[in-house]
Amino acid sequence: MSKKVLLAPLDPVHDIGLKMVARGLKEAGHNVILLQPDLSSEEIIEIVYREDPDVLLLSRTLGYGVGELLARFIDLADAAGIREKVKIGIGGMAIRRELAAELGFDAGFGPGTTVEETASFVEGREYNPDPTRFRKEKADMTAGYDYRYQHPAIGDKLAKISEMIIDWVKDKTSPGVERAKLRDEIWDVDKWRRREGDNDLHKHYPRLCGEIPQKYYATGELHPKTRRFTIEEVRGLEKYLEETKARMSVLKLQHTRKKPLVFNQYGTGCPFMDIGHILTSEAWGADGVVHFDPSWGARTEGFLDGFLTHQEDGTVITPANLSRIQLALEKSTLWQVRAHRGLNTPETVVLSGKVGADLTKINICYGALGAGTDPARMTVDGYHAILYARKYKMPFDIVTNEELAGVPAYKAFAGMLIGCDLAMRLGAKPILQPLFAYSPEVMINEYMADNYVDFNVGKIKALRAIINAPLWPGAPIGFLTHTEDRVQSAVTTALHACLALSLEVDAISIASTDEAYSGGPISVPAKVDTLRAVRDGFRFFGHGSITPTKQADTFAQGIVDGIERVLDQVIAKGDFVQAIHAGILGSREEGAYPGRIGKDTVSTIKS
Amino acid sequence: MDALDVETFFVCDDEQQGRNLMLELLKEWGFCDVDIVFAEHEGPGVRVRGRAYAYRPADRYGWLLREAAARAGACNE
Repeated sequence: MSKKVLLAPLDPVHDIGLKMVARGLKEAGHNVILLQPDLSSEEIIEIVYREDPDVLLLSRTLGYGVGELLARFIDLADAAGIREKVKIGIGGMAIRRELAAELGFDAGFGPGTTVEETASFVEGREYNPDPTRFRKEKADMTAGYDYRYQHPAIGDKLAKISEMIIDWVKDKTSPGVERAKLRDEIWDVDKWRRREGDNDLHKHYPRLCGEIPQKYYATGELHPKTRRFTIEEVRGLEKYLEETKARMSVLKLQHTRKKPLVFNQYGTGCPFMDIGHILTSEAWGADGVVHFDPSWGARTEGFLDGFLTHQEDGTVITPANLSRIQLALEKSTLWQVRAHRGLNTPETVVLSGKVGADLTKINICYGALGAGTDPARMTVDGYHAILYARKYKMPFDIVTNEELAGVPAYKAFAGMLIGCDLAMRLGAKPILQPLFAYSPEVMINEYMADNYVDFNVGKIKALRAIINAPLWPGAPIGFLTHTEDRVQSAVTTALHACLALSLEVDAISIASTDEAYSGGPISVPAKVDTLRAVRDGFRFFGHGSITPTKQADTFAQGIVDGIERVLDQVIAKGDFVQAIHAGILGSREEGAYPGRIGKDTVSTIKS
Repeated sequence: MDALDVETFFVCDDEQQGRNLMLELLKEWGFCDVDIVFAEHEGPGVRVRGRAYAYRPADRYGWLLREAAARAGACNE
C-alpha cells in the first residue's frame, strides 16, 4: 500500500543518502516529498503539520551536537502532537541505532543502511535481506584452458623431461605410495561415515607408518601436542553449526567481475576454531579455503586417526578432522587440502579426494628443495599424487614457494612447468601458482625499487607467453610486503589483489592482516580485515585496470629466457632427480637445499 | 591522547546484539563515554569497533595535567 513519505535532511548541506532513499521509495510506488537541506526543526515540523505524511524520514551527517539536536526535534514533535500520527525514522552517517532508540525515534539507520531496509520501515514490514543476492556457485577455474603451448620450443623441452620422469618412476614405489594405494583400494568413506568400520584398513596400515602413527595404532598414544575432543565439545560444535548455518549468507567480493576467486587459508591447529574461521571467511566473501596441516605432519609417515585438536600451528589431517570440516563448508566454497610437500603427499590426495575436497596442491620441486623431502621420494610420491588427483577429479596448484628461500623466479617457474607438463601428460588439471612476492631475488636485484607492479606483471606475462593454463597467484599474494600494522597489511593485500584482478588471473590466495605477526595464531578479525579491503579494492577498479611500465615486458622476456636455459640444463643432466641434487632448479647458494626426509625409502618394484 | 578503540569479533545472532556486547564491555571496564564506531554482522558474528573517549575537546587532559590523568574517561557517578 502506497505511503506518503516526507524526507528531510536535518543538516546544513548533506542530503545524498536521503535522495537515494527518496528515489528508491518513489520506484516502489510511494508518494515522496523531499525537502531541501538547512531547514530548522521548527520549519520541518510545520511542513509535517501541513503535509500530514504517514512517515517522516530525517537524516543527519554532521556528528557535532547530534544528540541535542535530535532530542530537541523529538520534543518539538511531541509538543506539536505529530508523534502519534507520523512514524519518524532517522538515518545518516552521524546516526547510531542506540542513540535513535534512546531518544524515542521509531527507527534509526546507521551508515551502510540499504534503501530496501528503509522501505521495509516505511511499509511496516520486517526487513529480510535477500538471501539470493549473494548466491554463489562453485567455480571450476580450469574450465576454458586447453594447456596449449604458446612457446613450442619450451613445450618440446618439457615433453623430454616428462618422459625422463615417467621412465624413472615406472618401477619405483615408497611407503607413501603404498599407503595411498591401501587408502584408495580399501577405505570406503561412506561406510566409515556410517560408523561401519574401515574395511580392515588398520590391519595393514600401521606397518607402512612411522613411529608416531605406529605407537598410536598399537597403544592409542597421541602426538604430544594433540588431544581428542570431548563429547561435550562435539555437541557444542553441532549446536554452534546449527545456529550459525540458520543465519548464514555469503558476500561476493568481485563486484562486476567473475574472477579472481579469492582463497584464504585456515589451520589454527583446532578443527573447531578452523570451522569458526572458515564460516567467517565464507560470510565475508572468500570463495575458497585452504587446509594447512602441521609441519611435523609432512615429516611423519602416515596419518593418525580420530577427531583431534592440536595446540600449535596447522590442523592435523585425519579422516575425522577433514570430514567434520567438509561438512561445515558452504556448498559454494572451494576446498583445497595441500598435499604437496611431504611423506604423505599421495595419501593426502586420496583421503581428501574421498572426503570431498575440490582442489589439492602438489609440487615435486618445491617439496624437494624448499620443504625438506628427499628428491627421489618426492618425485615418486608426487607422480602418484598426480595420478590420484586425476582419479579424484581434483585440479591442483603447483606452488613456487622456493622463491621465498632465494631461488630466482625463472628457476622456480621451470620446476613448476615441469610439474605442469607431467600432470598434463598424466591427464590431470594443473594450475600455475606464481608468487606475487617481495622475494629475496627481487630485493637483491632491486627489481621492485620503483614499484611492486612490474615484476609481478612480468611473471604473469612470461607464463602466458609459454602456456595457456589457469593462473592462481599466491600464496599469499604480497608475501613479504606485509608488516604487523593492520592497516598497512590490509592495504598491501588489497593492492596486490587488484593487480591480480587487473591481470585477469583465475584466483588468488590472500593473507590476513596477521600475516607478519608471529606471536600466535591468526585471529578471525584479521581475516575479515583483508577480505573487506580486497572487496573495496575490487569495487574501486571494477573493469578498470592497473597499467605497468615497459619494464614488465623486459622482466617477462628475462624469465622466459631463464626458464629455457634451466630446462636445457635438466635435459643435459639426463636425470630429473639428479638435476635437483645438482642445484639446476635452485642451488644451495640460492637457499635451496635438497631435502633429506624420506631418504632411502624409495624401492624398486620387483617384476 | 583522546580515546581507546577496541576491535574484535563477537559470535552473536545479529548486529544489535554485537553492538550491545561491545558497549557493555567498555562500560564494565569503567568507561562511560562509549560508542560503536563500526559494526558489520554476517552469519557467524559481528566485526565491531567500539570506542571509549578518555577526553573530548575542551576537557582537562591528563597529558597536560597530571591530576586529570587518573580520571580519564571515568564516569562521574
